[in-house]
Amino acid sequence: MPASNFLSIGRVFLRTWPYLKPLVWHIVLWVCLQLASFTTSGLAVVLVQDILNNKIMLGHPLEPGQATLLLLDERYVETAELTQEQRIVVRDRFILAVALGVLLNTLVLQLIVLHYYFTWITQQLNQRLRVAMIERAERVSLRYHSHARTGDAIYRIYQDSNTITAVVDTVILDPINITARCLTALFILWLFSPWLGLIGVLATVPILAIAAWYTPRLQRLSRQARQAASDLTSRIQEAFAGIRVVKANQAEQALLARFDADSRRALDAALRLRLEIILLWMAILAVGGGGILLADYLMAGWTMSEENTWLAGMVTLVGFAVWNLGAYQAASGRSAEYSDWSRGLIAKWTHMLDMAVGLERAFRLLDGEVDVEESANPVAVPRPIHEVAFREVSFSYQPGTPVLTGVDLVAKAGTVTALVGATGAGKTTLMSLLLRLYDPDSGTISLNGTDLRDIGIEDLRGNIAIALQQNVLFAATVADNIGYAASVRGTAATRDEIEAAAHIACADEFIGSMAQGYDTELGERGGKLSAGQRQRLSIARAVLRDTPILILDEPTASLDAQTEQRLLRNLSEWGIGRVVFLITHRLSTIQGADRIAFLEHGRFVETGDHETLVAMPDGRYRSFVEAEVAGAREAS
Amino acid sequence: MNAAAEEAAEAPRGIAGELSGLGVSPRFDDRIDLDPELTNRESLRLIWRALKLLRSVKALFFGKLCLATLALVPGLTLSWVGKVLIDQVLLGAPIDDSEVRFPPHFQPFVDAVRDLDRGDVLLAVIALLATMLVLFGRGGLGVWIGYGADTATNSELKLNAGSSRVAGVVGVIDTWLHIRLSQRLANGLRTRLFRRLAHLPMAKLDDHRIGDSVYRVMYDAPDVPEISLGLTLEPVFTLIGVAISLYLIQYSYGAVSPQIVWVAGLLVPVGLLATLPASGLIRRVQQASRAAGTATTNAIEENMSNIAAVQSLGGMARERARLAAKSEESYRRFRHVRIMEIGVSAVSYLLTVGLGAFVAIVVLAEIIVGRMTPGDWAALFGLALSIGGAGLAIGMAWINLQANTAAIRRVFFFLDLDAEDTLGTLDDLPPVRQSVRFERVEMRYPNGHRALAGVDLELRIGELVAVVGPTGAGKTSLAGLVPGFYRPSRGRVLIDGHDIAAVDLESLRRQVSYVFQEHLLMSESIRANLRLGNPAATEEDLRTACRTARILDFVESLADGFDTVLGQSGDTLSVGQKQRLCIARGLVRDTPILILDEPTSALDPRTENALVHSLRDAAEGRLVIVIAHRLSTIRRADRIVFMEDGSVREVGTHEALMAAGGGYRRFVELQGGLQGGRGQPRA
Repeated sequence: MPASNFLSIGRVFLRTWPYLKPLVWHIVLWVCLQLASFTTSGLAVVLVQDILNNKIMLGHPLEPGQATLLLLDERYVETAELTQEQRIVVRDRFILAVALGVLLNTLVLQLIVLHYYFTWITQQLNQRLRVAMIERAERVSLRYHSHARTGDAIYRIYQDSNTITAVVDTVILDPINITARCLTALFILWLFSPWLGLIGVLATVPILAIAAWYTPRLQRLSRQARQAASDLTSRIQEAFAGIRVVKANQAEQALLARFDADSRRALDAALRLRLEIILLWMAILAVGGGGILLADYLMAGWTMSEENTWLAGMVTLVGFAVWNLGAYQAASGRSAEYSDWSRGLIAKWTHMLDMAVGLERAFRLLDGEVDVEESANPVAVPRPIHEVAFREVSFSYQPGTPVLTGVDLVAKAGTVTALVGATGAGKTTLMSLLLRLYDPDSGTISLNGTDLRDIGIEDLRGNIAIALQQNVLFAATVADNIGYAASVRGTAATRDEIEAAAHIACADEFIGSMAQGYDTELGERGGKLSAGQRQRLSIARAVLRDTPILILDEPTASLDAQTEQRLLRNLSEWGIGRVVFLITHRLSTIQGADRIAFLEHGRFVETGDHETLVAMPDGRYRSFVEAEVAGAREAS
Repeated sequence: MNAAAEEAAEAPRGIAGELSGLGVSPRFDDRIDLDPELTNRESLRLIWRALKLLRSVKALFFGKLCLATLALVPGLTLSWVGKVLIDQVLLGAPIDDSEVRFPPHFQPFVDAVRDLDRGDVLLAVIALLATMLVLFGRGGLGVWIGYGADTATNSELKLNAGSSRVAGVVGVIDTWLHIRLSQRLANGLRTRLFRRLAHLPMAKLDDHRIGDSVYRVMYDAPDVPEISLGLTLEPVFTLIGVAISLYLIQYSYGAVSPQIVWVAGLLVPVGLLATLPASGLIRRVQQASRAAGTATTNAIEENMSNIAAVQSLGGMARERARLAAKSEESYRRFRHVRIMEIGVSAVSYLLTVGLGAFVAIVVLAEIIVGRMTPGDWAALFGLALSIGGAGLAIGMAWINLQANTAAIRRVFFFLDLDAEDTLGTLDDLPPVRQSVRFERVEMRYPNGHRALAGVDLELRIGELVAVVGPTGAGKTSLAGLVPGFYRPSRGRVLIDGHDIAAVDLESLRRQVSYVFQEHLLMSESIRANLRLGNPAATEEDLRTACRTARILDFVESLADGFDTVLGQSGDTLSVGQKQRLCIARGLVRDTPILILDEPTSALDPRTENALVHSLRDAAEGRLVIVIAHRLSTIRRADRIVFMEDGSVREVGTHEALMAAGGGYRRFVELQGGLQGGRGQPRA
């Protein structure tokens, strides 16, 4: 078996240890109960076969130990043959004993105790992993998410973390159990005849060889199948998100065709994987089944000639001194069991391969490069904040295409700073850096001189409120959406706070006109609200957080002029003592700022208030303003 | 009350409970079907529909039927092989020494070995077993890989489920056919759901939750083949097996021990009795578990798609807690399912043990008195157990069936949702040459909100029209009427004199391009994104469109140019870049009518100027409708439509409207006046 496969699977499975560790005593207890159950029942079967076949059916006298067990006297032992009446008595007691044993072991222990206990253990494990993965997915920087498709992430968390549940089962517990069963069966066979034991051991050689030959193949197919399923999920998800665009472009047919192709690929991959697994099983079945037939042939021959069993006289509890009907039944049953369970072990191996693939993908997310590393000893955000400073900040999303190159900017408390510049100049990126959604490639960003990287991430973000340009609303009521961020601080927002925030954001009017006002349910992604309404809700949400730093990304893009002016007035009143950043294109909005920072080619080329900048001859800002005014004038 | 809920209430099949959570209930997750009550009639109707699906896979189904019949052979034969091995080989009894008759299909083998000695009979038996091993293997086949302990995960596995009662050559082929059958059926349904979504009216899609629900229902789809197959294959073959087994017992043992026959016959109803009473209870618990599983998926999905917002609002800890709670709840409910299952298994197991003991007592009595041989024990006990198992299997099948009918109901419900009336009976709209006219158009959303109140308006090809007005004035609703996204509740929209309600929707949309406020790009190459609406577009068409949208320079500056693959929802681009790509996508379609909903909101003035300038050129021979707030965009329009409160207040050129001194002038002054107020640049 290729060592690399063992290694990679081993490594992947080792990774589950931290999640397993808290449950380890439960698992040990479960295994012990299980083993006790298997070995007792395995040995009991031999006894059962002897009494049933040799004693009841053929009338052989009971062994002394058997008579004691069934509470019968020596008349059942010291006789050449049992009478019909005696056989009836043995039958009744035997059936009662077997029924009791079966109920106790199978029903109580196996089904009720162990089955439920196992479900509980695996769920505990799966829960831990899911939470860890979500946590990680949130910490892995946005850079990861902008490249990984959402559907894939969902697939991973949902499908692959479930695989972990099965890890304990397939990799640790089942192999232990099955091996114990195999060994018990093999041990009993050996007692009957070393030859049988030898056949059993020898049969494992071709079985292992076949499994080893198949392993890399199955791994590859399993990876393909999972990738195809994940691609399909992404495709479906994306299609659903963008369905309006699809309709507007009449691309339904193209979409269906792609869906069709994707699902065909996924289905074919799934079928292929399953067929290969079946074929592997068949190959192993051929070996195992052949072994059973050979053993049966030998045993039947020995029974016909009534040869001695290997341990002939050593056993007093069962009457298997020579090969007889009971001995044949007991041994033949064990050889079938041995063969079937060792096949089960191989089946577990194929499961294991598939799981290793799933885990590999799950851990890739867990191992995902964390661009934004939490400081080991985070300091608190300084209060009050006097200034936010960017010094020589450079950043690029992809190597080779810098977005920011040496940005310098200081924003003081109590000022509104407008970030202005051409589309794609890096204004939004700059604010993402302030939030530590990314860290700069070089340079520092500091609050009152404290480097952001020394501040706890959650603490930092807790002190910055932002109204995003791509405003995201949650599927909840209007009030919940505005109050969303407040519950981050631990206490729910009161209705008064929510209404006050809505008032500042000029959202109170349209909310009031909704049939259920603040209790109106919004659909996912904002349902039926217009862009301007969504914008104002997300501004209200940011305002409600009452943080020392506020970022507004294009807050007025979808507002009419009247609402815009009212909003700006409200914000500047509210903004006293805070650092407010405003990212915007609208001249009317820009003019409301105390300071304007004009960004071009990844750096601030001009900084100052509107009058100063406009007064600069050949200034970049000035020509920007002229373009706007000229645009408006040219048409008139 | 929101739109979706109302529409659901109007849904023809009276399945309001299905979607009751959509609007009425305050809790979002309640939109999952929590209603476990299904009348028997409804169950039967749904099951009948599921069965009718089999028509689409006739050949496969027939093949599976044949093989499954063949798979009954080993169960009915091996018992007798065991009898011969024990009686004739091991105990050395003559073959016809018993009152028990061998069944007809096994008689040829008996005849063949009648005159052989013990050793040769053994060889014959081994040879027969070897043949059976190749053909039927040992035990059955079923591939269940990557299983998890969760209801939602199982859907993906059900899609590719397949099994056989036997292994060996027959079993492999049987399983293969079964997998293909499940896949074919489930995927057929998924495709239909997908197509249904693509044809849902835009007003429904405005409520994203409808789309999201369909998405989830895609995961219910694999339950349907499980029903159609589970109902036709499993119980049928189980019953056939039982019937044959009973016949064989009667044939062989009827004369020797009549009570054996009726004991065996009783096994089936007893097995059923053990499971049926619990079925309603189990179904309810399973349903609750499934709903909780869906809630977890919802939580994860929302979390992932809102990741930027969650991160920037510092809501991570809260989101994590929310997810953990959902997931924990899902597991708790799943454990309840387990407990129910264990309870049912325990009862049926008890019954099995009791019946087994009874059969053992009867058969052993016959052996002790010498009417039967130890070989008959092997033959009979195997047959009796398989009959008892069959009763249990049918009972369990019924329970599973019930669990699935709820899923089936959801699937069919969405398949039946109103589609747009795109019936091919309507005439095509001829190429647009003149105008779009609104005649007393009134429009209400399904929730009763009036978006437009009696609009009369004519827009001509060759014009660049700006639609202006305060937020909520009805601009988007007006524009959405043109491509038939919405339907007027009163009045008509005429294009070149054709009422668009009376023309084929496809032909209408072929001539209208609509660029939305939200800029949605697929995670594919820029080229594929641009060609979305016009797969036939040439490289030159793409470049022209990009040039007009002022994005060509940017695209060419990318390392891979048009082949650059965009990230999830185009996150690697700035909003302005996405906006312009979406405009370019609209332009690539090259339609006589182009509608742009706020195309310049995220653009800097210079880019905006250039874009509006090229749009003016694009209006040559086209009708371009621009919804806008920015004065610099508005002013360049040939005509301005000023709207307020769902009505068109003023129409005219910028100068005319300024001179009129109405609402438009006030609107402009508010913007322009303040603009000049704080430092007029020297132009």
